[in-house]
This record gives sequence, C-alpha cells and structure tokens, in this order.
Amino acid sequence: MKILVCVKQVPDKDSTFRVDAAGTWVETDNLTFQLNDYDRFALEEALRLKDAGEAEVVVCSIGPERASQAIKTALAMGADRAVHVHDPAAVDSDALGLARILHAVAKAESFDLILAGLQAEDDNVAQVGPMLARLLDLPCATAITSLQVADDGKSIRVERELENNRRQVVDLDLPALVTVQTGINSPRYASLKGIMGAKRKEVRKPALTDLGLSAEQTAPRMRILALTPPAKGEGAEILQGSTTEVVTELVRRIKEKTGVI
Amino acid sequence: MADRILVLVEHDAGVLRERTWELLGLAHRLGGESGKQVGAVLLGSGVQGLAEELAVRGGCEVLHVEDPALLEYTQQAYSRVLEQVVAEEAPWMVLASHSPTGWEILPGLAAALGVGMATEITAVTLESGTPRFIARAFNGKFEVQWTLGEQAPFLATVQKGAHEAVENVAAGSVRALSCPLEAASLRTRYVETREGDSGGVDLTQASVIVSGGRSLGGAEKFDIIRQLAEALGGQVGASRPVTDSGWLPPEHQVGSSGMTVTPKLYIAAGISGAIQHIAGMKGSGYIVAINKDAEAPIFQVADVGIVGDLFEVIPALTKAVQKAKG
Repeated sequence: MKILVCVKQVPDKDSTFRVDAAGTWVETDNLTFQLNDYDRFALEEALRLKDAGEAEVVVCSIGPERASQAIKTALAMGADRAVHVHDPAAVDSDALGLARILHAVAKAESFDLILAGLQAEDDNVAQVGPMLARLLDLPCATAITSLQVADDGKSIRVERELENNRRQVVDLDLPALVTVQTGINSPRYASLKGIMGAKRKEVRKPALTDLGLSAEQTAPRMRILALTPPAKGEGAEILQGSTTEVVTELVRRIKEKTGVI
Repeated sequence: MADRILVLVEHDAGVLRERTWELLGLAHRLGGESGKQVGAVLLGSGVQGLAEELAVRGGCEVLHVEDPALLEYTQQAYSRVLEQVVAEEAPWMVLASHSPTGWEILPGLAAALGVGMATEITAVTLESGTPRFIARAFNGKFEVQWTLGEQAPFLATVQKGAHEAVENVAAGSVRALSCPLEAASLRTRYVETREGDSGGVDLTQASVIVSGGRSLGGAEKFDIIRQLAEALGGQVGASRPVTDSGWLPPEHQVGSSGMTVTPKLYIAAGISGAIQHIAGMKGSGYIVAINKDAEAPIFQVADVGIVGDLFEVIPALTKAVQKAKG
C-alpha cells in the first residue's frame, strides 16, 4: 500500500502571538514552529499501517525553508520519503491553491490512501483535505477516530466523529482520502535511530513549474483582510484580592446567580 | 439566478436540526441587506414532511431532492447531488453549518467550482455588496476577516449557535428537483451510526459542570476538579486535549466536537477557550473561568473570572463551597 500524508508546519500554539505590521497575520520572527498536531495523528495512523504490513509512507508539505524541520520530524518518526514544495509562488496560496499543488504531487504517483489532519491549528481552515479528495475524485471521510483496512485490501472502514459523542461508521473504497481527528492514536516520538536515519531519506523539492502548475492556478481567492485580537466586549469581571477573598466573593455570586449552592 | 442564498439543510432521525433554523436566520438577514432570495436545499429519502415544515417556518423556497441513496448522509452521494443543485441554481452564496456534514462536503464543492470558501464563520458583513466573513484563528486568540474575492458563489460554513433562529417570515414553497445519482458508482457506503460509550455520564443533563483543561498536567491532577464538582453536586467535564491524552474518557469532553452543554453553572479551570470548546458551553447559565493567563479567550465568554493558579484557587473554592453548604 502506498500512503501519502499531507502535513503542515505551524507555530507552537502556546506561543505569545503579536499581530504583524500589515495587520493580517502574526509576527513569525520569534515563534517556534512544529508539526501541526492533527497531522501528527494522521502520520501516526499511516505509520501503524506500515508497521502492520507492507506500506510506503510519503509525506508532503508546502512551505518555506523552515518547513524542512517539520519534514525531518516526519521522516524521523518513520516516513519513508518526502516531497517539500518550496516555491515563493506558493507562499500566498489559499486552501484551493494548496489542494491544487497537492493534487499535482499526488497524481504523479498512485496513492492508495491519502491522510491529512482535520485542520491546521493556525488558520483553522479545514478545507485542503476534502478539496484534494474532490480534485482527485476520491471518496472522503473527515474527523476520523478509527481506521481499519478490509481483509481484501480494497476498502477501509472508518469511524467519523459526529457531535455529542456519536460516531458514523462508513466504508470507503480505495483509493480514498481521510482527515484525522486528534486522539485517534498516541503519536510516537522519533527515536535516536529514526533521527539519524532521516538524514539519508529522500526529500524531493519540486517547484510549481516542475509540477506543471502556473502561478495563476495557485493564486489565492481567499485572503485575510485583518487579524485582530477579539473585541473585548463585556467579558468576565475579574475578581481581585487574595485567594480567600476571591473564592469567598465567587461563592457569594454563585449562590446569588445560580442557586446551586 | 445569481440572486439567491442557498442553505444546506441538516436533519437527523426525521427531525430538522436546530442549526438549520440558525442558518436560515442568517440567510434572511443577509437577504434583507442584499436583496437576495433565500432557498433551502433538502436532501434525503422520505423527507416530504420536513420539506413542508421548512417552507412554512423557514420562509423560503425549499429545493427538495428525494433519493433512496440519500437516506443516510454519505459524503459522495450528498456531494454529487449538492453539486448538481448548485450547478442548476447558480446561487450567489451557499451556507452550511460547520458540522461533520458541512465541513466534509462544502470544500469539495468549492474545489469543483474553483471558488474560495470561509470556515466556521461567526458573522458576515457586506462591503459594496461583496461579503466579508468573520472567523477565528489561532485557537480563538484572534478574530480574522476573510475576503473570497469577487467571484460568486461565496461559500461558508457557519459556527453553531452564532446566529438567531429564523422567525416571523412568510411561508415559502417546495420545489422537487430531480438529480440523477448512480448508486452503483458510489464509493462511500454507510454502515451505521452509534452512540459512543457514556460510562453513565450525561453532561447534557447536569446542572453544574466543572471542567478541567490541559494545564492540569495529568490524569491524577483531576482530583481537585472532581472534589469541586462533588462539593457542588455537579459533573466533571474536560477540554479536548484532556480526553485526547486519555486523562478522562471521551464522554467528558465539552465542545463542538464533544458534548454541547447548558448547565446552570459552568466552571472552566485551566481551559484557555479554544473555539470548539466555547461552542460547546457558551449557552451555560453562569460561566466562571479560572486561568493563570489573563488574556485567555475563555474570559471573553465568562461572566466572572479569577486570574490565578488553579492548584491554589480550586481547593480553596472547594472548601468555601463546603463551608457555605454547611
């Protein structure tokens, strides 16, 4: 089985973020970047299929030079090889532009299964996976919390996470694309051997023209006009004082407002 | 026909989901501002009754597609039919809920049409007739204004609970559409829908919920949360990272991907307030947030907050509650 895992490098979500000069994104100079959490779960799911049988796991990431760190992490965890689309023309791509780039990468090889994270932790867009599925005309399932390959290897059975603790079980014929919810597994850490071995693994770096794409095809329709801290609005009244004072005041309010005490 | 706002209807077990009325509320407001008509796309099998209900209460034309292959939602069947409806109707805007259905099929529609899409929006404004969409980024820490350019249709998934349900509209009508679907060519097959394990916990019925977040640091640290919940006669909730890490089973998770809860009292301890958590608890009667980070988004939805170390505040609060109860 040949598996593609689409990964993104994002800022550590616990960072202190500041709005950049243009007011459309955050300042990135002092941030630590890492593999998107959802994508780590997606990669782990692919690696488990590899551990269970014969599979080749390829990771693909689109991003600037620093994204090679995220790719190294993925290779150290156990991916076999990588494609890093590192092209200035791709910097401003929106979700559809990214899906078109991944489409060009994927159609050059025939993958049986494509995995991606449900969404990116930074822009929260959650579109690239299902868009890529549509471009490749693949069946798609999102936010999966379980994946089993059928005995004949021709389909997968997945559980999609619904709301209120419910699950939909659905079969997809392969080839297929799934996006992975966090918590589906426990992602492994790279071993020292894995980290050493990653240095010898192939990382192909095609430009958009190598993939047969024009800048026009990946030009964004979707753009951020402004990124701002949320309006403060009313917000919570913050209680001031010593711990004893604030909890005493809080109990008084809980009594008055809710009657549960 | 680029004069219509289409809403993707969601229904479950023969009942229209509440979010459909919210989508129609938003669509009617935008329709009023832009002069566009509102339409609802209803896909299913044996849902004529729902079509009538939608036309009356939703105040719009209902585009109704009946097909046995649409009995249960599956991605490919629903996507193919929705694409046909949109191709025929050429709407100005298509709105779906940011739900496991909406986020699964709307991006595919955008890819098929070659247009942009906005995700989990909380508001739409019109600038010279062109929509701008408000959403969140960085786990709720920032608000983002998106443009999708000038090319219709404009697609968006809408955050649950962000808009008032439609009301006081004149009844509309139902139009049956025929969208041929080759069932044999579908490569997604419905197997079943099942409830997750509940472990005897039903947060939706709790009048008090005390939830803990990632900053507790481990399963054993939840004892302070349990003790406070017990003192208040309530249940223990959690944010997603807690259940993902296995510190508590999934039935304790509060959020749009977990349980949506509306207790009289909700206490969020060490929870920063990711969008998806807030979506699951903002309907609570009285919200208390305890967090060491004064900038945490949770303080924006809370009624009252304490900025401090939860390992100090929570045990002190438990004692104060026990004392108050005598």
